[in-house]
Amino acid sequence: MTAKPTLGSRLVSLFTLVIAGIWLTPLIFTLLMSVRPPAEAITQGGLFFGSTITLENYVNAWNIAPWPRHYLSSIIFVVGTLVVQWVTVTMAGYAFARMKFAGRNILLILLLMQLMIPPGVLLVQNFATVRDLGLFDTHWAMMLPYWGSAFGTLLLRQTFREIPIDLEEAARIDGANWFQLMRRIYIPLALPAYVAFSLVSISSHWNEFLWPLVVTQSENVRPLTVALSRLIRTADQGSMYSLLMAGTVLVVAPLSILFILFQRRFVESFASSGIK
Amino acid sequence: MDAAVPVKNTRLRKPLLARLAPYLLIAPTFVIIFLFTLKPTVGAIHDSLFRPARLAQDPSVYVGLENYFDLFDPMHHIGGRFGRVLGNTILFGIFTVAIGVPLALMFAMLLNRRLRVMGFWRFSFVYPSLLPVIGAASIWAFIFADQVGLAAAVLRMLGWEDVNWLGNPNLVLWAIIIINVWSQTGYYMLFFLAGLQGIPRDLYEAADLDGASARQQFVYLTLPLLRRTTLFVLTIGFAFAFQTVDQLQALTDGGPGDRSNLILYFIYQNIGERRNWGYVNAMTILLAVLVLIVTVANFAFFERGGREHDR
Amino acid sequence: MIRRIQHVMFLSLVLFVLVAVAPAIAQEGTITLDFYFPEASANNAQAIFEEYAAMFSEQHPNIQINVVYQGSYTDNRTIIQSQLAAGEGPDVAVMLATDLLSFIEAGTIVPAQQFVDASEDGEAYVDGFFDAFLLNSMDENGQLWAIPFQRSTPILYYNADLLAEAGIAVPTNRDELAAAAQALTTEDRWGLWYPSEGFPIWMFSAFNIAGGEPMVGDAFDQVFFNTESTASGLQYLLDLSGEYGVMPAGALSWGDGPTIFTSGQTAMLAHTTGSLTRILNEATFTVGTAFLPFGAAGEDGTGYGAPTGGGNLYIFANSTPEEQAAAWEWVRFLSSPEIQADWTARTGYIASVESAWETDTLVQLVEAYPQYASARDQLAFAGKEFTAFRSIDVQNVINTTLSSIIAGEVTDIPAALEAAQAQIDSLLAE
Repeated sequence: MTAKPTLGSRLVSLFTLVIAGIWLTPLIFTLLMSVRPPAEAITQGGLFFGSTITLENYVNAWNIAPWPRHYLSSIIFVVGTLVVQWVTVTMAGYAFARMKFAGRNILLILLLMQLMIPPGVLLVQNFATVRDLGLFDTHWAMMLPYWGSAFGTLLLRQTFREIPIDLEEAARIDGANWFQLMRRIYIPLALPAYVAFSLVSISSHWNEFLWPLVVTQSENVRPLTVALSRLIRTADQGSMYSLLMAGTVLVVAPLSILFILFQRRFVESFASSGIK
Repeated sequence: MDAAVPVKNTRLRKPLLARLAPYLLIAPTFVIIFLFTLKPTVGAIHDSLFRPARLAQDPSVYVGLENYFDLFDPMHHIGGRFGRVLGNTILFGIFTVAIGVPLALMFAMLLNRRLRVMGFWRFSFVYPSLLPVIGAASIWAFIFADQVGLAAAVLRMLGWEDVNWLGNPNLVLWAIIIINVWSQTGYYMLFFLAGLQGIPRDLYEAADLDGASARQQFVYLTLPLLRRTTLFVLTIGFAFAFQTVDQLQALTDGGPGDRSNLILYFIYQNIGERRNWGYVNAMTILLAVLVLIVTVANFAFFERGGREHDR
Repeated sequence: MIRRIQHVMFLSLVLFVLVAVAPAIAQEGTITLDFYFPEASANNAQAIFEEYAAMFSEQHPNIQINVVYQGSYTDNRTIIQSQLAAGEGPDVAVMLATDLLSFIEAGTIVPAQQFVDASEDGEAYVDGFFDAFLLNSMDENGQLWAIPFQRSTPILYYNADLLAEAGIAVPTNRDELAAAAQALTTEDRWGLWYPSEGFPIWMFSAFNIAGGEPMVGDAFDQVFFNTESTASGLQYLLDLSGEYGVMPAGALSWGDGPTIFTSGQTAMLAHTTGSLTRILNEATFTVGTAFLPFGAAGEDGTGYGAPTGGGNLYIFANSTPEEQAAAWEWVRFLSSPEIQADWTARTGYIASVESAWETDTLVQLVEAYPQYASARDQLAFAGKEFTAFRSIDVQNVINTTLSSIIAGEVTDIPAALEAAQAQIDSLLAE
């Protein structure tokens, strides 16, 4: 290798660093604000560390809601949603990608309706459905509407279609049934898409607010965002940024740790699945 | 013959189970979609033709398409605002997607190299989409806050006037666009990254041997091979852009003077009055139609190109 | 990797089934009331309400209160509306005082009057509230529907040290306010912060009340928005940022107001009494509070006037009569002087029962922080908060109009007011 590409790639690296820095600024200040004394605005004391560092905001935020119960509830909500989604989107994704059947395009458009009309808008009717099913105030009520995912089905449809058809035909000649096809070819080769979808599913449900709020009323069942909202809906007092940032960190920390741990596997999954 | 069809038998010769198979595979998804999307959507179409009576126990009155016409009547209490809100929504959708999606592709290309501490790089672009929207919106509320915000503090340190980002009618929609681009780009980057990883390396090696420049490789190799990923990202990009709510609630309440109001938040503003439910349903249907048009246009453009490519 | 995740998922599923399926064991003979409340301050109202509920159940062993947090006032109302449409919903709830007519019209709440009439001390109980707070609890026939609970009013906060330094008296009318603000404005400090983003109608109605032209009269089918008071109030606000230069132009932040004030970036602030406790905690200077002086000088030289705000207690129609009776007991408990005093001391809302201010709790509080008394005393000049038929729609029209004018988006004020008034009239005629 000559020196020329090295210079170019160094410039690209520098550029990446600058952009990453811009992208990280809000996070850095979230962390800094969360350890700033509650009564100190950003214009008072130093821009970065204020007059002193304190954990008071975390203590206050922690005391405002039963966080452990909310953490547990969020985990149940997110995991219970994702596990079922993996199954349903694999099935539907394959059908739309590789099978021909009457009404396929119309059914696909109907499916996409879910992307077009978010559940939040159909609140009144969807609440009635959940209530008629006898699920009001349960974890089931929060999860049920997401067990079919237009987003996931569409993503896997696109991914499955990129997988060379010859692989499937070869496996079929070897006598593989549908489950073996999925296990040996489609799922491993689509792993990056599964990881991406899981990330989207986890983070969107971990962060969901209005739907869980409407279909539940017990503290035991409600997710973390309900706790966070207590720190945000402070119209009668004005915004208390330090407290808010501490609460945001409490909500986002588990996901961030998960992502950082998981993301190595993410790379490995690319490497091992790599279509050469 | 469509290249995507694995079984070459004609329909008549297929056993019953094989013919039912696709429907069985999509059944679980469609039960849910039916219950929580299709059924209430039909309900919303029905309700959009009615107007609730003054008393809750009285039956609603059938008004035909009048709710829809009222939405475009400038003298109407909702119609007088709807035009601007619709315009904002379209502008917002176009700009968040036009800025966010190319940026996401760029990030994906930047990270699709051998880098040390890859976890750090990925995290720094992806973390905004891990944040709860209300939390992320609050962070930006702090950044954009007049007088006591981060931007104000920095501008002042540099000796400049601070800017009332969210209170200035000409800046506010751009502030919301910036926030959306920041929070969504990481998402989209992941899909492009997955797409890039799926492109066989030998294609690039072959292109190198043929003496193709980096630009040529990008235009003739990368872009066409990312076609389906791009279709997917564009589709969800528009759908997500049209569903922006929490940012507005935490930051501007759609103001000043509706300059940052978007359809879904506008629906939310009016849903609290039971007697607006006819309009609310009509706006929901229009929103769905808007997303539908964009989606169908996307599919028409990309899928047709796709078939040509497959041949 | 997948296998390990699957293990975790299987465990979570088992756990989740245990939690979700565990049946709620109801005690026999007890009534459980769903009590919904919104939260608009970071005071942990949930914990306070749970404490009250425990005290209440000691006095009424057969009634259990299920305290349910429901987001902001708006979230709370949206949830209640959605649930009522499906035949579900709370037995008793805190909702905005301005929501009254929407729920009366829908027939989804029951009048508090029927319980008052049935109680022996009913009349004395109602007389115990500040009159200003009852204005938003009654329909046009004087029938009582809701009980004042967490009420507030906007006041003027000022940096007393700066005023004393400059030898300026506390302003009592709009001219004095502008002059004081001008004298207090420096290179790095504004004279006044008047928040106008979001829902400007509440603060702005002070101009109409002070001008003697309130937006709503005793009847709820007429709204007077296109008035001299509105026009002159808007011009005054535009002049504050334009001509006098004591305030930045554009829509100013509500949520950041307290921080801007306590960090010394404005000398005066118009804000709700709800933020008083916080401002007292955070300010490093002497905080003064005064009545809102947005009116022109009257005969006595003052121009006071302010709306009231905050939440009332509502009882719902789809509960059984037994539940409604139990809900009334809970409402009586929450509006007792002791609880009102405690609630004020812990949150900063204004106790809505006059006798609460004679309890030790509040006597001591006012002694230590006389600022709390301004809010209470301003009630003498307080008018009704905006309530009319189609309340939410009419407020939306007014909010959008005010906000476009204040932000400088619309410059022809008379035409904008006229157009808004026409929209309001046609709404009310429906």
